[in-house]
Amino acid sequence: MANQSSVGDVFAALADPTRRAVIRQLGAGPASVGSLAEPFAITLPSFMKHVRVLESSGLIHTRKSGRVRTCTLDRDRLSLVDDWLAEQREVWEQRTDRLERFVTDPQHQEDR
Amino acid sequence: MTEFDPARDLAIERVIRAPRSAIWRAWTEPARMQKWWVPAPTIARVDRLEPRPGGAFVTSMSEDGRSFVPHTDSIFLFAEHESRLVFTNAVDSTWRPAAPAPVRMTAEITLAEHPEGTAYRALVRHGEPADRDRHEELGFFDGWGSVTGALAALVEGETS
Repeated sequence: MANQSSVGDVFAALADPTRRAVIRQLGAGPASVGSLAEPFAITLPSFMKHVRVLESSGLIHTRKSGRVRTCTLDRDRLSLVDDWLAEQREVWEQRTDRLERFVTDPQHQEDR
Repeated sequence: MTEFDPARDLAIERVIRAPRSAIWRAWTEPARMQKWWVPAPTIARVDRLEPRPGGAFVTSMSEDGRSFVPHTDSIFLFAEHESRLVFTNAVDSTWRPAAPAPVRMTAEITLAEHPEGTAYRALVRHGEPADRDRHEELGFFDGWGSVTGALAALVEGETS
């Protein structure tokens, strides 16, 4: 469910340059998967994986009509990224995750 | 102690299944800290880590392990062995007032005994963002900071 995904999913979706380019493109208005895929030298199945990541993060919605799948940007969802506090929370959540992994990993906790 | 302001501050609380001493060492020994301070594949270098009031806390980061760029430049305000660590980036390691992007903050890390290990809390108090339009590339998230600026412009209906 897109509306249950976290701000972390949004950041993860945006971590990829191809997906960022798609978001920028959709900023100009809805577009079909085919036209969005054109600038990229990747196969359509690979491109569809990016589309699915964007969709599950809630950043875009897609609608199929006949053989054409149209993508639309969710601007409210995208505005999460401009929320600096959410961004800082993400930084500290992930930092705490890494700290936790480090201190609970026996390999790193030898006494010298 | 100042109030917690939900509009500007954040708190992360969890129980970590490790002794306080292990978490303290991860926070105060450079060789340990650099293992978790920044997300892989970015490499952290802990340049100065002096957990005492006025002590420096300086880190750099690198994408290739050769050229490093500044990451954190802050000072400790308070340190209590295995229990509390407070640092701020509003003053840099040379004690000069600083205006770090994206935001000035004071982080208070608290460790308390817990039956399952350690009750860990990070309380981060923020000032106002230094400049909401100019997110610097922090490298926290593969340069998401700079992306954020571009995306914000987009959301506001400007062409980028």
